[in-house]
Amino acid sequence: MLEVLLGATADIFTLRTMLFLQLGVFAGLIVGVIPGLGGTTALAILMPLTFGMEPIDAFAMAGGIMGSVGAGGAITAILINAPGTAPNAATCLDGYPMARQGRAAEALGATSTASPLGGLFGMVTLLMVLPFAKELVLMFRPPEFFLLAVFGLITIGLSDSSNMVRGLITSFAGLMLAFVGYDSVSGGDRFTFGSDYLWDGIPLVPSLIGLFALTEMIRLSISGNSVAADTDSVHLDGIMRGVWATFRHWRVVLRGSIIGTIIGAVPGAGGTIATFISYSSTKNADPHPETFGTGRIEGVIAPEAANNAKDSGALLPTLAFGIPGSSEMAVFLGILVLHGMQPGPTMLLEHEREIYGLIIALTLSAIFSAVLALVLIRWLALITLVKGQILAPIVIMTSLVGAYAIDSRPGDVMVTALMGVVGYLMVRFHYPRLPLVIALVLGETAERGYMQSMMIGHGNWKIFVSSPVSIIMVMLIVFSLLWWLVPMVQKKMSKGI
Amino acid sequence: MYKIRFLQRVAGLLLLAISTSPVFAAFPEHDIKIIIPFSPGGGFDSYIRALTPILEKYLGGNINVLPINTPGAGGRRGALETFKAKPDGYTIGVFNMPGVLIPQLTEDSVGYDLEKITWLATLGNDPYAFVVNKDSELKTFAQVIASKQPVLFGATGPSSTSYVATKIMNETLGIPYEMVTGYTGSSEYTMGVMRGDVNAALVSMSTARPYIKSGDVKALAMIGVKSTDPAIADADSLGKPDLGKLNVVRMIGAPPGLPDDIKAIYEKAFQSAMADPEFTKWLESTGNDSAPADGKTTSATVAGLITFYKNFMSILKE
Repeated sequence: MLEVLLGATADIFTLRTMLFLQLGVFAGLIVGVIPGLGGTTALAILMPLTFGMEPIDAFAMAGGIMGSVGAGGAITAILINAPGTAPNAATCLDGYPMARQGRAAEALGATSTASPLGGLFGMVTLLMVLPFAKELVLMFRPPEFFLLAVFGLITIGLSDSSNMVRGLITSFAGLMLAFVGYDSVSGGDRFTFGSDYLWDGIPLVPSLIGLFALTEMIRLSISGNSVAADTDSVHLDGIMRGVWATFRHWRVVLRGSIIGTIIGAVPGAGGTIATFISYSSTKNADPHPETFGTGRIEGVIAPEAANNAKDSGALLPTLAFGIPGSSEMAVFLGILVLHGMQPGPTMLLEHEREIYGLIIALTLSAIFSAVLALVLIRWLALITLVKGQILAPIVIMTSLVGAYAIDSRPGDVMVTALMGVVGYLMVRFHYPRLPLVIALVLGETAERGYMQSMMIGHGNWKIFVSSPVSIIMVMLIVFSLLWWLVPMVQKKMSKGI
Repeated sequence: MYKIRFLQRVAGLLLLAISTSPVFAAFPEHDIKIIIPFSPGGGFDSYIRALTPILEKYLGGNINVLPINTPGAGGRRGALETFKAKPDGYTIGVFNMPGVLIPQLTEDSVGYDLEKITWLATLGNDPYAFVVNKDSELKTFAQVIASKQPVLFGATGPSSTSYVATKIMNETLGIPYEMVTGYTGSSEYTMGVMRGDVNAALVSMSTARPYIKSGDVKALAMIGVKSTDPAIADADSLGKPDLGKLNVVRMIGAPPGLPDDIKAIYEKAFQSAMADPEFTKWLESTGNDSAPADGKTTSATVAGLITFYKNFMSILKE
């Protein structure tokens, strides 16, 4: 393996291939910054251009894009509360409050350090477990998908104990939204009102853009302020503080990287779940979980470490079976096919060098984009000083155009706008948005996993404790429920006495 | 007065000449859109994207053929978009059969009519493989047919192509079965077979081939293609040749009312592109099949498929 790895490294480190890699990094950063457009869109646009290229150049460019969109998306998540890509939504939660306190540079310094660290961790893990890739991927069956989704819903949805009733209300509202559309288990249409658009369900990315970016821009337009409320307190020199904080919180980086790698490897789970579970587990493990959401730097480090680690994780099912672990990987497989390769279980044997080339490109890209971001942070942070009247129209317009660009569906623009208003009303009347988001992300996976498990197990609940992985997951769920219940009961008891 | 009328006539003739001139000018004059009813990256998508640069070569005119992905509603959104486009030859679309055909038969209004589409070409047939886990107790297809226990099948949603094909096969051959629905695509239920979620699945060959080759799944029968391996059953050896119609067909069509001369240009370009050595080499290296056919044959295939699926309305309407 080492020999092939070195060979692939030599392939990448030629002037021409490096140039394509850098081109990919640039494109990825720019596309990542635009809300709505993520790696999937960038790769799809790039795909026809690669037709005439050498395969290794095409993969270097694809790796450049995939490794850097997250970094681009984190920038806007922190500066203007607009998650550039869906997984960056978790970074908004503490990153944006930091920007409002004038600590944007510090937050960006932290993400630019956490992302490549997560990426490196993911790659090393991937290379280590690659020999057992098949066995690992086959461990996740519908019961495990269901349990993973339930675990996510519980840890994230209920982690905000200060607002429990409202949290539950928004969770259920989110689940209802997640069930809109064609139900691929029973075959019925649900809440589609005869609309072809709703047949595909409420789309996640436009909803996220609405709930985060538009909501915040509505608030800014009403207040007329800049992002940083107190412009005198903006520190442009906080970059190094953010970098060192990341190393100081190495446990957070490690936890995020492990979570990102594992969840990335589950086909269909997606990066958004990975970053949110990383965020909530860091929050729950902290002695002061209630201070999260007010600008804790760990709340930025955790999701971004997971974000880059998940790319390597997503490669696991892709390489083992030719089954994409994420939508980006699906387009990447398309590029492989375009270059005359057949994705499938023998891909790794037949195209070893190209695959290792991609892994190296992904890792290099995470590092390059972080360096590039570190250089630019000082100027980028100035955005937080721009007045709301100027910033809001620009961001709103870009967000709506970005929403349209995903699949060129007018309905997506309407969902974005509607969610923006809903999000603003929720903030205004103190309803937490997080449970809504997470229910929207996980609702379908949870339902499908449950229904399929019931069909496979002929209605017997034992299927949920029928494998080591499922038993571990059930234990995790029970543990996190107790983690949340026991202190609450104790508090009630002490009050009663 | 007379002179004015004469001038009007000349002007009218001129206008007529101008308005019809695009037909006389060499088609195509500008870029062409080809609507792909799926997200980028799937098997369908890559196939078209590999074909378009070669198609451009044979269409001439120094233009681009731009693949436009319009995923949604299981391929119906793309079909509708092609159906409603202007029949000027600058919008054509890819159709997956029977995926877009079944809704037309079962639903009141899908907004398109496949019998009215101007068919240009068939790209290929994708036959089905009946696959089981590599360690399955079912070793031959005869065992499957003789099974007393219901065989558990994986599929995407009811009314999806895989679901309908599985049911039609099982009902025709009298195989006892149960369905596990909700898989998001053919590679997902192939995974389901590998994980042991389900006993078997009917998987299109283009998806199944690599897994059969690597030994992760075992094929016991082929539907829609003649089996070359005596150990693997096919529609003929099962005595139900009609089951051979159960395969996925990829077709190219244009909006209804496409002028005949443009249709002829397309038919020729598609035939030449599909026979181009560059494309056949690509087909071979990626394990894709092609069964090119012209517009007339494609129209006949569509009519045949409609008659075939109408026999199974009770299964389709579920």
